[in-house]
Amino acid sequence: MNLFGLMETSGSAMQAERMRAEVVAANMANAETTNTATGGAYHRQHVVFAANQGEPGFLDSMVQAGGIPAPGIAGGLAPASLLTGSQGFGPFGFEQHGPVAPGVHIAQVVEDSGPALKRYDPGHPDAGADGYVSYPDINPLTEMVDLMGATRAYGLNSSAVQAEKSMIASALEIAKA
Amino acid sequence: MNTQIETRMCDQLARYLDLATSQVKLTAANMANIDTPGYRAVGMDFETEMRGALEGLDQGRAPGAVHLKAVDGLVSRPDGNNVSLDREGLNLAEAQLKFKTGVALLRQENQRILDAIHSDK
Repeated sequence: MNLFGLMETSGSAMQAERMRAEVVAANMANAETTNTATGGAYHRQHVVFAANQGEPGFLDSMVQAGGIPAPGIAGGLAPASLLTGSQGFGPFGFEQHGPVAPGVHIAQVVEDSGPALKRYDPGHPDAGADGYVSYPDINPLTEMVDLMGATRAYGLNSSAVQAEKSMIASALEIAKA
Repeated sequence: MNTQIETRMCDQLARYLDLATSQVKLTAANMANIDTPGYRAVGMDFETEMRGALEGLDQGRAPGAVHLKAVDGLVSRPDGNNVSLDREGLNLAEAQLKFKTGVALLRQENQRILDAIHSDK
């Protein structure tokens, strides 16, 4: 069992949630942007999360490269047998193709393809031939709810990191007399 | 006669700590995927796993993989995700306390052994 691997899991989630909050901030900042680099009004962006696949860990690579001998099944209490992928267990000691996802990542940032809001303003430099200006269809309420969700999830994962830290600290206490 | 310094209790506690770590790991994975569409919460039965671990210890087997199962009775959101914030928060606190209990017991056991070593003074 690797306690430090836990922090990676929670850390990946904090990173992903922060990215989500950044995207929300960008949406709100550009709520009135009528002219972008790609032309036309700004389109609302949103993130899509995906669970991480159990990637081979450092120890797996070491075993594969022959740097560390793979522990035998009848090897007594060798704790490393729980960490390696050599016996069909993933880097986290669970079955390799099991449902446990060690963390999360942002699969993609997608652009909302909904139609722009049209406002009549013939004097505007971005107005079309009919005098209507395209504004991004951004609902402050939706964005705030999304931001709240990101903040809560960030806090949740940061409290998991705190828990993991205190576990590591108390594990160090074992060695002290 | 048992000639090793560590007692059976130490080995049992080691397995107990392993299982507590697994539980935190599962909780952390569930928490990390609280916003992943289609993700289903996974859990383990601590008591069954602990029984299996103690049996394995008596038979001299190395610790095996933890048996995972889908968690029943959770409400799915429209995106197919069924991670419950309350459940994961409680599980995290519980697993953390289990771990600290194991550490405290292990320290006590080590202290006992040390006391025996120093008993001639």
